[in-house]
Amino acid sequence: MNKFIITVLTQDRPGIIAHVTKVLFELGCNLENVNQMILQTQFAGLFLVEAPESIDKDHLQHTLTARSEGRDLVIHVNTLEETCGTDMDPDGDIFLITTIGPDRKGLVAGFSDILAAHRANIVNLKAVFKGGSDPKDNVMSYQVWVTPDMDTGAMFTELRQKAEELGLDIRIQHKNIFDAINKI
Amino acid sequence: MFEDHEIISTIEMVKNEHLDVRAVTLGINLFDCISHDLDTFRRNIRKKIIGHAGSLKSVCDAVGDKYGIQVVNKRISISPIALVGAAFSADQMVEIAHELNDIAKTVDIDFIGGFSALVEKGMATGDTALIEALPRALAETQRVCASVNVATTKAGINMDAVLQMARAIKQAAELTADQDGLACAKLCVFANIPEDMPFMAGAYLGVGVADAVINVGVSGPGVVKRAIERNLENGPMTLGNIAEVIKRTACKVTRVGELIGREVAADLNVRFGVVDLSLAPTPTVGDSIGEIFQALGLSQIGVPGSTAALAMLNDAVKKGGAFASSHVGGLSGAFIPVSEDLNIAHAAHQGFLSLEKLEAMTSVCSVGLDMVPVPGDITEECLAGMIADEMAIGMINAKTTATRIIPVPGKKAGDSVYFGGLLGEAKIMAVPHMADASLFVHHGGRIPAPIHSLKN
Repeated sequence: MNKFIITVLTQDRPGIIAHVTKVLFELGCNLENVNQMILQTQFAGLFLVEAPESIDKDHLQHTLTARSEGRDLVIHVNTLEETCGTDMDPDGDIFLITTIGPDRKGLVAGFSDILAAHRANIVNLKAVFKGGSDPKDNVMSYQVWVTPDMDTGAMFTELRQKAEELGLDIRIQHKNIFDAINKI
Repeated sequence: MFEDHEIISTIEMVKNEHLDVRAVTLGINLFDCISHDLDTFRRNIRKKIIGHAGSLKSVCDAVGDKYGIQVVNKRISISPIALVGAAFSADQMVEIAHELNDIAKTVDIDFIGGFSALVEKGMATGDTALIEALPRALAETQRVCASVNVATTKAGINMDAVLQMARAIKQAAELTADQDGLACAKLCVFANIPEDMPFMAGAYLGVGVADAVINVGVSGPGVVKRAIERNLENGPMTLGNIAEVIKRTACKVTRVGELIGREVAADLNVRFGVVDLSLAPTPTVGDSIGEIFQALGLSQIGVPGSTAALAMLNDAVKKGGAFASSHVGGLSGAFIPVSEDLNIAHAAHQGFLSLEKLEAMTSVCSVGLDMVPVPGDITEECLAGMIADEMAIGMINAKTTATRIIPVPGKKAGDSVYFGGLLGEAKIMAVPHMADASLFVHHGGRIPAPIHSLKN
């Protein structure tokens, strides 16, 4: 197995994926998975590839960087073994923790600190656009992997206390309720 | 992973649109508790009910907390006491009601239903005793709910029972005159009563049902109303498209109910029964069936067009719910309880919703004349006539109908009544010809079951 995870960051515009995948194809790499997101104007892409045995990490990094000259891409290559260490308990459940209220500095840090202290892994974090222009409508959604060995009662209590301290409304709900309502 | 709109819509439904699970009801079969000795019977039912329901409340709260959806009421339904307590006298039936009330307090649930009799084709000894016991049983307890099924489509209407129920209702009201006849709010008279209904006051556990079973009643009028409003904000819609919106919304609401119900059932190690798709209002702004009518473009519930709107609403809810779950049952439709719905109570007080229009509307929705306060000096003949009329709608249309009429002692049309909590408050509705003492209901006997062909 000679697998790499390639991270590409740049200003969003047409042709980024076309360029990266073309170079990978010409190197003989097989694209196994890809994920991208756009945050306001910034593109972030993750490409998981299996490369021929003759290609190592430095060669892949060098080739991609050289072939992307002038395109203003930030490219980072890692071997897959270096990056797959999440150590997630398969018996866990995903909870969605949603905070609603005015934006402020330290908001995410406050909640993620509590989650980290309880070893709860954030599998997705996003600011959710509710529509409208009310600054009090800022919505943050944390999708968190919660395992049976955690003291969830204490963790949820601390999260609720933090929300109260920050003047936020907080909802803590198992993901199945979102599935039940939305995934029909 | 979820899209933004999926997260927002779910949060909105719970936070601002009053989505909740209205009732999780644990049905418990009491046939194995039967004894000819009252003390033994009381011991048996206490042991069995507490054995099954001891952790009902804590489990409901834990599951509700897990999903961020409140389970508003935790209830118990039991086998009809007229059957399992058939050996007992009316006085002993009252003692059983006290025992049930005490059990309900012990397990900390809101209501226990099943102080019930099924008499559509005639009355046995236990049925007679239970009906005789009803006024005292309901007046002297707080958490016991009663129902008597006096008609079915296959049996017709037992008019002897109808008249007896009118008398029982009047007596129950008199015994709780200081509470505006509150005992009657815990008593339903039914045609085609469902045996798996989670809602009170009519819930009981049918004889063909499992030993213990969880049935769930969802809510969601606020969610339906906002869905209609949101879609209409984007431009005009045909009623067909509005029905589609209601259907999709009912589907979501039903799935929430089933999710909660199945988890509660699993945690209690009992079978999951049904989701009752009924839209059940509360006396809260934004959680009202009446407001749905206004969202549909009617000035008030009760104006011309209301029956058509209700028919469409009811049907769309059933379609959405039936798609969402293979196990639907109970009443499954829109409730229009007058005092329990702030908007409906207001429409009735303002004269938009008359008793006659309410009765007409019950031909296309679930339940019937529900939580209707009427003047206390209504004659028993008039009251029996109202019940018989409502039963006839159920019998002919092969659907459930019921009455929960409260003749408020010492008060007249327009006076205020206050029942409190989910039972709400209202002004007493005017009853045309309420002094009528027609012979009709005194003929007794049974109105025969209707023919099922020649439909017109």
